[in-house]
Amino acid sequence: MTQSFTAGVSLKPQHYADALACRAEGLWFEAHPENYMAAGGPRLAWLDAIARDRPVSLHGVGLSLAADEAPDEGHLAALKRLVDRYRPALVSEHLAWSMRRGVYAPDLLPFPRTLRALSRIADNVDRMQEVLGRRVLIENPSLYLPLGGHDLGEVEFLAELSRRTGCGLLVDVNNVFVSAHNLGYSAEAYLDALPAAAIGEIHLAGHAPDARADLLIDTHGAPVAEAVWSLYARLVERIGPRPTLIERDDDIPAFDMLMAERERAHGLLLREPVDA
Amino acid sequence: MRDAFHERFLAAVAGDAAALAPWCAPNAAEAGLSVYRNTVGKGCADALAAQFPTVERVVGPAWLAAAATAHATACPPRTASLLAYGEAFPTWLADFPPAADMPYLAGLAQLDWLWTCAHLAADARPLAPEAAAALSPAAFSTHALVLHPATRFADFEDGTPSLWRALQSPDAPPKTLELNDAPEGLLLVRPGLDIRHQLIGPGELMFLAASSAGASLLEAAMAALAAEPGLDLSTAFAGLVAAGAFTALRKHP
Repeated sequence: MTQSFTAGVSLKPQHYADALACRAEGLWFEAHPENYMAAGGPRLAWLDAIARDRPVSLHGVGLSLAADEAPDEGHLAALKRLVDRYRPALVSEHLAWSMRRGVYAPDLLPFPRTLRALSRIADNVDRMQEVLGRRVLIENPSLYLPLGGHDLGEVEFLAELSRRTGCGLLVDVNNVFVSAHNLGYSAEAYLDALPAAAIGEIHLAGHAPDARADLLIDTHGAPVAEAVWSLYARLVERIGPRPTLIERDDDIPAFDMLMAERERAHGLLLREPVDA
Repeated sequence: MRDAFHERFLAAVAGDAAALAPWCAPNAAEAGLSVYRNTVGKGCADALAAQFPTVERVVGPAWLAAAATAHATACPPRTASLLAYGEAFPTWLADFPPAADMPYLAGLAQLDWLWTCAHLAADARPLAPEAAAALSPAAFSTHALVLHPATRFADFEDGTPSLWRALQSPDAPPKTLELNDAPEGLLLVRPGLDIRHQLIGPGELMFLAASSAGASLLEAAMAALAAEPGLDLSTAFAGLVAAGAFTALRKHP
């Protein structure tokens, strides 16, 4: 990885001016395309300005690749328009679903990782890559339910999805930490088993304990936890540096606070030998 | 038995934990299901709160969140982009029993919605005042005005537009939430990236509505005068052009 593309931060409307003025080396920005699916106006204009200066990543939350139906063609077309407009360095989506029979549930919902689900999701990822004309990255979800009926473990499922479709993986280390806690497995073993060559991006975010149950919630509303930083260092030591995002979607702090976390990831990435 | 997971999962999130039994025992599912339930509810409520800031300023975040949650159950989002979620909220709010003692609330919501529409509309250059001024009277029947894509307008039988405008500066909220009886109209324009708004009278409203419906300049002017006989037509026309309400002149028909 070159120094021009190290650690980035989520792009939030309240930070547009700070983001545009910031000169930090290697900085990039990630935006949810769903927040830019407008015909025109100030949001698109801000992202135009930022994308002129910096690498941009479009991180989708609504394509619903793990639904029991094909992705919405209207949504894909809107995503394609944004990909054509901004030429993002990275495009990603989740191993989850949210849309079914025309109703959208704003969350990233789970499913049994059956072989049948694998082939349907592979078809959906193929369709996404075909329409966008490029490779995408698929992110591991945060899980809260001890579902049965899986044919494959999550790492196996993601590795096979990548093998079948050519998609890369976006590893959200906080999601691994949260899911491992909630479902009772080893986050270290999970991360150690991921296929290094497929990993194209890493996410770091904050979580919070549930008020009622012994669950951790992937809130994106707090600084990255120390335990997650340790897992991140372990992952990067094994696979080499990858573009890394400090992800924040709730309880948004001042831009400088996000940048302080971003500097920590940036420093860690620069210490790693460049992976040719 | 392994089919229909997605449908069963939604039933479980809606309250029927037993629906997930083939995959998860109900007592083991409840804590996790409530996380999904909360996230879905918060996603809809946050989106609506962002769309209706004036309503939130009047009723407070907790009241709006409760109303938004009820609305999301009745009218869930239909697209994964929530930028334009909430179109049905103003009408729904008019029949929401807890809002019955706030007769201005649905109108404020309607104007917030028009603000969002203006915010997200396509970009276009406003019609230059010189181009409008250069029109000869003979051209009035052979030309029509094209509204700027961001232009929105609404008329009310009361002073909702004045109340909404007074509520736009959060630092100086109006002391009372009272509606004048006199009818008012509001025009929202976005000639560049910033939205501007102004009160307009019945003649200007009719001029905009007729132009929007495809009338020639002459027809729109006649309709405006019929709606407001004392209207100073040239001043009103120049004012709308200067505000950036139009983007072009086109041949008519």
